[in-house]
Formats: sequence, structure tokens, C-alpha cells
Amino acid sequence: MNNNWKTYNGSKAGDFYDELITDTGGPRQAARQAVKLLQELSSEDMAARRGAAELAIREMGISFTIYSEGKNIDRAWPFDIIPRIIPAKEWQKVSHGLAQRSRALNCFIDDIYNRQRILADGLLPADIVLDSGNYKPQCAGVSPRFGTWAHICGTDLVRDRDGKFYVLEDNLRVPSGVSYMLENREITKRVLPELFENYSILPVDDYPSQLYSTLASLSPRALRRPCIAVLTPGIFNSAYFEHAYLAQGMGAELVEGSDLFVDSDDCVYMSTVDGPARVDVIYRRIDDDFLDPESFREDSTLGVPGIMRAWKKGNVAIANAPGSGVADDKVVYAFVPEMIRYYLNEKPSLASVKTYLCMNQPDRDYVLANLDKLVVKPANESGGYGLMVGPHATRAKRAEFARLIEANPRNYIAQPTLSLSTAPTYIDDTVEPRHLDLRPFILQGRDTWVTPGGLTRVALVKGSLVVNSSQGGGSKDTWIVEDNG
Amino acid sequence: MIMLSRVAERLYWMARYLERAEDTARLTQAYTHLIMDIPAGSEPGWDILVHILDAEPFFRENHRAYNEQNVLKFLIAEEENPGSVHFCVKAARENVRTTRDVLPEEVWEHVNELYLFSQENAALSVGRRNRHHFLEQVITRCQMINGLLMTTLCRDHAYRFIKLGALLERADMTTRVIDVGAGAMLGHERLNKAVDPLIWACLLQSLSAMGTYRRTIGPLVEADAVVEFVFRERSLPRSVRFCLDGIRRELVPLKNHEAALKVLDRSRRSLSRFTADTAEREQLHNFIDRFQLELNTLGSEITSTWFTPGRA
Repeated sequence: MNNNWKTYNGSKAGDFYDELITDTGGPRQAARQAVKLLQELSSEDMAARRGAAELAIREMGISFTIYSEGKNIDRAWPFDIIPRIIPAKEWQKVSHGLAQRSRALNCFIDDIYNRQRILADGLLPADIVLDSGNYKPQCAGVSPRFGTWAHICGTDLVRDRDGKFYVLEDNLRVPSGVSYMLENREITKRVLPELFENYSILPVDDYPSQLYSTLASLSPRALRRPCIAVLTPGIFNSAYFEHAYLAQGMGAELVEGSDLFVDSDDCVYMSTVDGPARVDVIYRRIDDDFLDPESFREDSTLGVPGIMRAWKKGNVAIANAPGSGVADDKVVYAFVPEMIRYYLNEKPSLASVKTYLCMNQPDRDYVLANLDKLVVKPANESGGYGLMVGPHATRAKRAEFARLIEANPRNYIAQPTLSLSTAPTYIDDTVEPRHLDLRPFILQGRDTWVTPGGLTRVALVKGSLVVNSSQGGGSKDTWIVEDNG
Repeated sequence: MIMLSRVAERLYWMARYLERAEDTARLTQAYTHLIMDIPAGSEPGWDILVHILDAEPFFRENHRAYNEQNVLKFLIAEEENPGSVHFCVKAARENVRTTRDVLPEEVWEHVNELYLFSQENAALSVGRRNRHHFLEQVITRCQMINGLLMTTLCRDHAYRFIKLGALLERADMTTRVIDVGAGAMLGHERLNKAVDPLIWACLLQSLSAMGTYRRTIGPLVEADAVVEFVFRERSLPRSVRFCLDGIRRELVPLKNHEAALKVLDRSRRSLSRFTADTAEREQLHNFIDRFQLELNTLGSEITSTWFTPGRA
């Protein structure tokens, strides 16, 4: 065994589940071959592989530059060469649970904008849904194809100390990161090719084709090759290169709002050198609020005036459909298991994190008595804003949140603090445990499809639970491997 | 093959700016050599370069005296001057940034490298010492990018709009090169006869056309013959005639080309009616002025037909 791994304790190290190493210090079944090979590499060789990965990233990295203050900044893209390995048998169940969840969420969105059966039946209070900023009254009465609104869903999963996957949140608006998932696999193939010899790893590079099929199935016109456009806010958006990447991968047009217009026939056209060309499906990567100045924010210059009109008439498909965010809400999250039973008559197969709704008296009392153990989140914010992690918060902070909750209980939820799982991560000269999460992507059009694995984000700072790339997060290649004995 | 109007417009401008960067570098290079060749006292002024590019208003914003230092700084390094080499390189790059998905991958890399080179060196290359190397590098790198485009780009709309931009810009710049010849002599009526061939040879050199001229026309560099050659030699890639013929070839397969073709054909007719008589320098200069206006009209026609339909 090389020196890098000497001090690695795996699950022994703390109160965490380790993805590759068991609590007796040996590799998990599915990771056996990979860990053996990585431990046999000399320290110099490990460093050389990391160097090769950095080189590959720089070469490909041109596609991951960001634009700021008129200058072009190469975004350092921290990538850890040790892959995360999940046995296919385990993944199958997770994948099933993700597909089930996505179907239920879509039933919910379709119901909310149409008959509102779930509200009439009293499963969740109407005001929670209808008073939320994520509910868009402009979308009421629309029935998109297949009843599907959220065609692309990025669901964040974490593994708690019991080794079980839990859903942390569903991103139903414009989830990003899928291009990293694809690039990570490319890099691993280049720098650790021998790892692939003894494994049968489910490929991920099918994603752009699957996305194309999903989007094509939504086309209002029955064409062999419908016209699909990826709508980007433009070069200044940090995910611009993902937009370009996916457009290229699908053979779709990468368009900005000013390229599109709605004609008097209420169809969407793009301006081309051969004249207007009708667009059938728009994969939009801009938020609802900016989509159509006629329906949402009047000052939006990114969107297309009249596009909502065209969509409502069924002349164009928009993915994700406007208004999908209504199910992307911390309070609504608590009701997803109920939705699965209600709409699908199935038993939820993926666990959700226990959620206390401060609007309910008994929950509120529990939360206020246990602020030091819980994570408190505002219901309508995203991206970690206004959140309190009880065990790490000061007494004053907890007192402040107690006041906030009592003043506006509807706006707060609380969850137990999870122990995110760890995986061996190559830091400087040693392999150390770091916390991680997982974002699979679920596609839903005529059929449902789940990425084999997804994007693993890892907190590179010791002990940190923050996996966001803007705050010291990196990523790992994620393998779903067939068991081979 | 769908081509968005916005993408076509950016490709067209990428090509125009790349061509303008190269041609400005060529012109500046040739003029520097010329000044060194002509005996002190009878050399033409540096102001001619600014007049030729119709850039006086921009120049006067930051400078008063038309001396070598000011003019060269203006032509090479100044970011506010839309005709400076550095400005053109930067503008070309901005246009490639958002059209990378329709171009071969290496195009972005090379354009980006050209920009980084210009960014680092333009301001340091105003003086005669570094100027030559800098201009040489810009010309070479532009040609490399052009070569890359010509050998890897699919012959579709993307190629077509790139060609249109490059050819239109080149036609315009070639008329300006001839205007240097006319302009240099304006006000120098009784200039030493020995200087005249030097000027025209220098201009031929700036168009990489010296060798071809010698082989096709003859060893003696004469004003009328040079003007005729550079305007109307259909086999010379930097001649005005060659550029206009090329533009026609790219316009024909485009939809809605009628208006643009009409403007183009008018320019082609005025070119064929023109007779080179450099004795009438004023007249030559006026012809060039009118001709440049016609090229401008063609540019506007291309813009309103294909880039901003319905917005015009």
C-alpha cells in the first residue's frame, strides 16, 4: 500500500458512512478492485495521474471559462481523481425511487394548475401552494403534453450515517451541472484507463441523446426532426458553456431571447438568414420571471414577448414548463411522500428527510425546543440563503431564529442535521475523507429516464458540508458498476 | 442547415475585424518601410495613414500632432479607435466567443491566443524597434486563422457569411491602399520622379502582390499600371475585382439576395468603367471615395437583408 492511504480509516474515522471503505478498514465489495489498484500506485504515480487530470481539464477547460467584469476568467475546476463507486443493484432502487418521485411531482404540478384535487381533498393546505411566489397564476388551465411540466429534474441526494440515500431537494426550475458529469467521465477515462478493465461501468455519455428524445417527444408538430432550441441568457451566464455544450450535443440551436419572436399566428419563430423558422421545442435555461415580459417581469430583456401565449395555445413546448417551480419548495417537499401515495397509489421508495413544518403547532413546539439539533430553513429561499445549522449556531443566532419562527411560522421548516457520507479524496499527498452529495438528473417526456449516477459534488475543505463549487466544492466521477462476483 | 441571423452577423463581423486587423497591419508595415526609403525632407507625412482610414475624428479626440509616435499608437494600440489593430483583434474575439459552437474548435483557441498576444504587446510595439515583429506576428496569425477556416469549415452558410465579411473588408482596404498612392502625391505635385515608383512598389508589397505584378505586368513599377492591376486583375486575391467577384459568388446561393446583388453589380459596373489615369490624382481620389460609399451601401444591404430582417 502506498503512503497516501496510510492514515485512511474509512467509516471507522467518525460518525459517517464512507462510500468506499467499510468500518473494518477494508474496501466495500464494489470498490475492491479500484481501491486495490489505487493503493498499489506509487505516490509519484498518484501525483502524476492528478497532473494528467489537471492537464486534461486545462485542455477541455477552455469550455469552462467564466466571464466577469469584461474579463475572461478560467474557472478552476477542482476534480478528484478517485471515483465514487455505487453497485448497480443498489442504484436500481434509487433510480426507481427518483423516477417515481418525478412522476408524482409532475402529477402534482398538473393538478395544481388544473383541477386542484389534492387541495380539495385536503392533503395539503391550499394557501401553502397558492400564496407561494412559485405558484404562477398565468399557468392555470394549461395542460402540457403527457401532463409533464418538469421534464428535466435535478434531485439532490445525500447518504446519512445509516448508509441510506435521502432526498434533500428537487430542483425543478433550471437545474445545471450535467455537463460536469459528462466531462468527469471523460477525464477518468484518460487518466485512470486501467480502472475500466475490471469493471463494467454504466456509461453516461448517452445524456445528450436522451435529452434530445425527451424534448423531441414534446413537439406540437409531428415531424421527424422537430426544431429544438436551447434558450440561454447569454455569454455572461456562468452556465453558458453548459448551454452551448448541450445544444451542440443535441444538434439543437443555441438561441438568445432576441433571436426569437412570436408572430401573429401565435407561433414562435427564430430569425435565420433564410427567413423565419418555426421553433417546436424550447429548452429554456432562463428563469420564469424573465421568460416573457408580457406575462412576467416587464423589464426582462432576456425573454421573448408573447412566448407564454404561444405556449398556452400549444404551439410550442417549453421545458421545463413555466410554473414548474411550484413543486420546488421546502414546504411542498414535506408532502411528496403523500403525493406518491395519492397520485400513483404507490409506496415511496426513496426516503425523504424528516421535515417539521413550523406552521403546525406540535411541530413548532418541537422545533423551538430543539433548535440546537436542527437545521432551520426558510421555505421560499433557495441556494442556502437564510439558513441556520443548529449545532453550529451561536446562542444569539438560535434566539434570533426562534423569534423569526414565531413571527412567521409559515415561512420556516426544520430538519434533523444529517451526517453526509464521505469518500476517499486525494488532498495534497494524502487520501482523506471528505463529505459529498449526489445530483442525478431525471428526464421525463413520453418516457422517464434517470442518469446512471449523476454529479457527485465533494466538499474539499476538511469537515465542511458545503459542496457548492463557489465555496470550495469539487467533484468526482460517479460509477454505477455491475456486480461481478 | 439553419443559420440564426445573430450568428451570421457575428461571423460576418468576426471576419471583417480579422481582415481589418491584418490589412491595417499590412498598411502600417508597408508605410514604415516607405518612410525609411525616402530621403529625409521629401517623405510624405504620417497623417496620410489617418486620413486614408477616415479616422480623423477619432484621432483628434486624443491627439493634436500627427507625428509618428501618435499616429502609430493610434493605429496599433488604442482601444478606443475602432480601426486600431488591437481593437480589431479584440472585436474579432468577442464575436467568436459567442459563435464557437458553429466554428471548428481550434478557431477559438487561435483567435484567443492572437488576442492575448496583442493585449501583451500592442502598447510596447509603437516604436520602430518592436513594431515590425508585432505587425508581422499579427499578419501571420490572421493568415493562420484564415487558413484554418478555409481548410476545415463546412461550405455552408457559416462559411458564406465569413467570406462575405472578409471580402467586403478587403475590397474596402485595397481601395484605401491605392488612395495612399494618390494621397501621398496630393500636395506633392512636383515630387521627385524617383520617389514615385518607391511608393507604388511599397503599396504592392503591402498587398503581397509585388511578385505577381512583376511576372504579369513587368519589372517596371508604374503608377497607372499598378492602379489598373490592383483594381482590376481578376486573378489577384487582394484586387478589388477579385473581391467583388467573390462576394457575388457567395451572394447568389443566399435567399432574398436581389437587393444586395443590385448594389454589388452597380459597384462592379463602375469598376469596369473606370480608367486608370494617375495624372488626374484628384479624380482618382474622388473615384475611390465614391466607390467606398458604394461598398458601405452593400454592407448596409447585407445587414438589413440577413441580420436584422424586420428590425430595419
